[in-house]
Amino acid sequence: MTTFGDTDHRPDHRAGHRHTGTAHPPDARSAPDASGAPAGGVEVRGLTRTFGQVRAVDGVSFTVPPGLLTGFVGGNGAGKTTTMRMIMGVLAPTSGEVLWAGRPISAGDRRTFGYMPEERGLYPKQPVLDQLVYLGRLRGLSTAAARASVTEHLERLGLTERAKDHVEKLSLGNQQRVQIIAALMGEPQALVLDEPFSGLDPVAVDNMADLLREHTARGVPVLFSSHQLDLVERLCERLVVLSRGRVVANGSPDELRSRSVVRHRIVLSGDAGWVRGIPGVHAVDVEGASALVEVVEPGAERALLAEAVRRGDVHEFAPQRPSLAQIYREVTA
Amino acid sequence: MTTTRNQPDRLDQPAPDHVGPAEPGRLSHEGVGRSWTVVAMREVVVRLTNRAFLVSTALTLLFLAGYGAFAAWQSGRTTTWTVAVSTSDAPVAGPLVAATGRAAHATDDTVVVTTKPVSDASAARAAVTDGDADVWLHRTDAGWTATSADDVPTGLRTALEQAVRTDALDRNAAAAGTSLTALERGSALSVDRFSGAGTDQGFVKAVTFAFALLFFMSAMMFGQQIAASVVEEKQSRLVEIIATAIPVRQLLAGKVVGNAAIALAQVVLIAGVGLVMVSFTDFSALLPTLSTAVVWFVLFFAVGFFALACLFAVAGALASRTEDLQSTTAPMTTILMLVYVVSFGLSGTALTVASYVPVASVVTMPARILAGDATWWEAVLSLLVMVVFSAVTVVVGERIYRRSLLQTRGRVSWRQALRTAD
Repeated sequence: MTTFGDTDHRPDHRAGHRHTGTAHPPDARSAPDASGAPAGGVEVRGLTRTFGQVRAVDGVSFTVPPGLLTGFVGGNGAGKTTTMRMIMGVLAPTSGEVLWAGRPISAGDRRTFGYMPEERGLYPKQPVLDQLVYLGRLRGLSTAAARASVTEHLERLGLTERAKDHVEKLSLGNQQRVQIIAALMGEPQALVLDEPFSGLDPVAVDNMADLLREHTARGVPVLFSSHQLDLVERLCERLVVLSRGRVVANGSPDELRSRSVVRHRIVLSGDAGWVRGIPGVHAVDVEGASALVEVVEPGAERALLAEAVRRGDVHEFAPQRPSLAQIYREVTA
Repeated sequence: MTTTRNQPDRLDQPAPDHVGPAEPGRLSHEGVGRSWTVVAMREVVVRLTNRAFLVSTALTLLFLAGYGAFAAWQSGRTTTWTVAVSTSDAPVAGPLVAATGRAAHATDDTVVVTTKPVSDASAARAAVTDGDADVWLHRTDAGWTATSADDVPTGLRTALEQAVRTDALDRNAAAAGTSLTALERGSALSVDRFSGAGTDQGFVKAVTFAFALLFFMSAMMFGQQIAASVVEEKQSRLVEIIATAIPVRQLLAGKVVGNAAIALAQVVLIAGVGLVMVSFTDFSALLPTLSTAVVWFVLFFAVGFFALACLFAVAGALASRTEDLQSTTAPMTTILMLVYVVSFGLSGTALTVASYVPVASVVTMPARILAGDATWWEAVLSLLVMVVFSAVTVVVGERIYRRSLLQTRGRVSWRQALRTAD
């Protein structure tokens, strides 16, 4: 995220590639992992999965750095779920690999991960507390540790009174909360969550976001998929955009914005029609004294500003922050 | 930018695990090796808190206990037959009724025959029609007649016939200058058999039927439950969470062991209560032989159940929805039905062969032991065949289970599952 870390770790990444002998496929349009995440976390390299003739995931590479919330965005069928299932070892990759802390991930590593599959489900006829403790025990927690963690989470998500109820008696929203606890309990070493926010009301979304931030605060890498772009924009420190099985954008929201075509709004004292004639600048919209322009050739905005100042007063000249939705449309186009 | 410029070292050396949250064991994670015990415990708890299971077990035991109690009451009860005798016939009829009583008692020691003196024919008729007497024994020109309201009870009739006949023969023999004992000399036929003290044929049939029924019911019930619990996890995608936590093999092992423990406990309980009930019946003398057969049955059941449980788990893994279970469990259901129907209809060589064929041997070998035509080493041999069969089934089943468990795209056929690579 910072230039600082960036320069620091780039050689390291290349070294890693040479060690394992796995290179990014040349056609992968993914941005290199140049964001300077510290070594470790979950790293996906050239992950590919075909179903019959269909390449659902095609040479996907990205990193989920420790301590950061990474949003996984893409349309329906972009390959998000397939990628997450491969990370969790539920699905075998056709090629490519998943690394954890710099080495190939093992079943033992995955055991310490919190995972929330796309399709939700629990034992309908078992009490909430019992089955969460059971799932915790399977992850290797002692009964006492599992019970303590579950009780704490139930309290935080307002489900303490429902602890003895059968899951089938809970509302869908509450079942979703139970599912969240199943993934978050027992201090997981990493979190892989497929659409964790779907079906939650705004208050629950905030609770969930707080919970996730607690996990990143203790250095855990968190990957979650979502198609709610506003939410992703609000929460994520990093973003991986998937389209038709490929990574089309990868980095922090600011990085993605800086790569996007920059738009400037200019407000003059007189008519702004002349901006159409400035080379290297594309006028998106001109209305009276105000214009919205895209800088096609870097530096052209300086010529524009100079010309504007020469012609009279400039009331406003500001770059426009592109929304994530705009970036998303650009990169998936 | 310059703070950590010592990184290029790592070009040559693998990075030490230092950054990030990679250090495991923060919450003292236990080893994965015994995860199956956690799964098995859950299966046991779920089964034991299932009302349908508890009720069906309780009903079976109640039925057995009720049957035993009825049999005990039946055998402890004395039957009294009353014979009405007119005052005029009394001097001769009295000893006849006494002889009838002895004859009846010899066949069934719970029977007592008493005499009811009546003044004349009309009083006798009244006594018989009112139910005060079972028959009226009176002299006619041809000999003796027993008149009753309805049919004479078979036991009483036989005893009366015997008494009258013996009495007549005795007197005729005396008239001819000899005795009944002399006439009957050498006329008795003793019965013996080469195979030693055999067990009652009907009893063997009944017990074989009980074995077959118990095996069929238990295997079907637990098999279907295992399949249902596997598909429940698959359908709800819980299996994805479980499969990331523990190896699928451990999940299967836990399910099979947990259910096998409960199934075995249920069978032992039912067999135990059954044995106790038999001890109250006339068959109590056969209890040692029966117990041996039951022990063998439980042993065979235990070994065979592992194979069946594994197959049913595979059937669950092949299905993707509960609705698919009927078709994926069809092969096992058919085999179990065959074993059930065929096992107690077999005899001779066919039975001997069946007693070595796994799954069928669960019923047929204990049946042969009970009938006394199989020795212990035959049972051991058959059990070994069963052990090998179960081991192979578990190994193959585990592979199919593993391959098909995480396939969520529709039903997988048995053939497909066997062909697919890992």
